[in-house]
Amino acid sequence: MKTRYLFPHRYKLFGWIIFGLGMVLGVILSLNEFEYPNWSANVFPLIGEKEGFFAQNKSRTWSENNIADEIASLMIIVGGILVAFCKLKDEDEYSATIRTESLIWATYVNYIVLILSIIIVYDMPFFHVLIYNMFTILLFFILRFHYMIFKTKKMIHYEE
Amino acid sequence: MKNNLKVERAIKNITQAQLAELIGVSRQTINAMELNKYVPSTVLALKISNIFEKRVNDIFFLDPDD
Repeated sequence: MKTRYLFPHRYKLFGWIIFGLGMVLGVILSLNEFEYPNWSANVFPLIGEKEGFFAQNKSRTWSENNIADEIASLMIIVGGILVAFCKLKDEDEYSATIRTESLIWATYVNYIVLILSIIIVYDMPFFHVLIYNMFTILLFFILRFHYMIFKTKKMIHYEE
Repeated sequence: MKNNLKVERAIKNITQAQLAELIGVSRQTINAMELNKYVPSTVLALKISNIFEKRVNDIFFLDPDD
């Protein structure tokens, strides 16, 4: 079946590895208030509090930053995209339908959680909600899609 | 929409897996169609009609709900 916007199946395992490592790093970071591990590196902020376009110090200069959270975010997003949007080994029009429905489901759940958080979570905890919300739409989609595919595979055994 | 895929399969004596292979879909897709959980695309319906050498209307039927 011709599919649009999907990656070849062979990248899926690679996606799982990147996604898994990113999640582990992310969890370690959030348990340590984003201070540990501390991988200090020079970055070039275009936009920041101390440097960058909207800062008082308009000079474009390198500054030091713990890049562990940046690495974790990028790994979760890139890995998550690959896991979510690599073709299945037997991708066909039925799995494409499940994929679309799972994406709609994940979008609803993601924003329902966000709406509830907007109403009941305030201050720093809300900032944390925003951090997790960057990844939850991918996470909800991956869980829902793979659960639905698993269910259709299980359905076959009842039919034997 | 309903269908008599299961009956047609029995007449031709092929399994879900064989039919799936013939029309290039997964076995889950055939299973979901037989359980009326999935309505196939026109392309897939035409492929199935080719395999069973019957008209699409003789394999797939509208349901009162459609």
